[in-house]
Amino acid sequence: MTPEAQEGNIFTSSLDFLVNWGRKNSLWPFPYGTACCAIEFMSTETARYDLSRIGSEYVRFTPRQSDVLLVAGTITYKQAPILKRIYEQMAEPRWVIAMGACACSGGFYDCYCTVPGIDHIIPVDVYIGGCPPRPESFFDAMFDLQKKVEDESYMKQRAERLKEQIEDIKRKSKECREDLVLRKNEACEMVSNTVRSKVNDVLDVFPFKKGR
Amino acid sequence: MNFFETLFPVLETKFNVEKDASAHWDHSVIAKASVLRDLITFLKNDESSKMEMLLDIVGIDYLGFQDYESPRFAVEYVLKSISRPGNRVRVKVFVSEQDLEVPTISNLYPIANWQEREVYDQYGIIFTGHPDLRRILNHVEFEGHPLRKDYPAHRRQWLSTNDFLLPALEKRLESKGYKVVERSKEVLPNEDEYLTGSIQE
Repeated sequence: MTPEAQEGNIFTSSLDFLVNWGRKNSLWPFPYGTACCAIEFMSTETARYDLSRIGSEYVRFTPRQSDVLLVAGTITYKQAPILKRIYEQMAEPRWVIAMGACACSGGFYDCYCTVPGIDHIIPVDVYIGGCPPRPESFFDAMFDLQKKVEDESYMKQRAERLKEQIEDIKRKSKECREDLVLRKNEACEMVSNTVRSKVNDVLDVFPFKKGR
Repeated sequence: MNFFETLFPVLETKFNVEKDASAHWDHSVIAKASVLRDLITFLKNDESSKMEMLLDIVGIDYLGFQDYESPRFAVEYVLKSISRPGNRVRVKVFVSEQDLEVPTISNLYPIANWQEREVYDQYGIIFTGHPDLRRILNHVEFEGHPLRKDYPAHRRQWLSTNDFLLPALEKRLESKGYKVVERSKEVLPNEDEYLTGSIQE
């Protein structure tokens, strides 16, 4: 990769602006509601608060079509693998909001069955305190997330990803080469061993006189 | 006249039960585990009591209880009458730590199936004759019984992968008259990955 592609220029920064503008104004949430926080999220969606003002009115119930994983409620140990799997199923770019005390830290459930904060399993972008938080605080979190999305650079991420891929390829080809050399040496050794043993066999059958 | 005053002598002669001295607010009897099934059957069917409803099965761990010496665990059955409203009775069975067995009553009351599973899950009391004694609240990888007093309050146990509940579900569907024609390959857990999933401690 050329160094020019890694630095921001007029084209990439405009593209960043465009992409981020599109992303931040259509953050589609996936509501992972397990407790009362989900009820507050529902009222955020209603006409009184109206989440569609910031373009997030489409609540997607499939991880394939959503951008924001909204974890609203208590997560138990029995449920942790399901949450992790849903996070893994989401397409990048993806963001996570931990809504309420339980999702942030386990809340007052300090016991054998509750995960003490979902950040033990998945990375979290925005935390909302409260038990449950009001719709206003949810809006606040969405604005914070929008600011975060605004700062991200699509081209930079792409460059980093490409760099990682190239390094991966390089590392793998180096491993392959070393492996090949190793196997070649082994094969050579094997051939020479067999030849030597054959020669010895022949020498055993026809003992030549020494110093002939 | 209080129904319990007529009922108790019958129970005393028939099943050799005692009155629970610690019960001040309701009627409670202490029974031996060997007569439990007969006692519950009697309470359910006899005209004098008619306890058609099993409200709850409760486990108790007496470890560290003040001024207490006898067996560590107890199981309580809370029974209620529907045809004679207001009639309630509790049956208490003591269970020692060495012999954790209590006969099941899941064929008398269908709800007892899950309630006994819960007591098994949380206290480790074994209900002999239970058709499906598995954990009900905690996950498959869980070790120990969390509501026992000697379970460390802050001990956390991670489940590494999704709990596989399909066999139980299919069995239940089949018992209702449905038939499983085929099962999609996606829902089957991978033998290599099962219980070694992506979540680690």
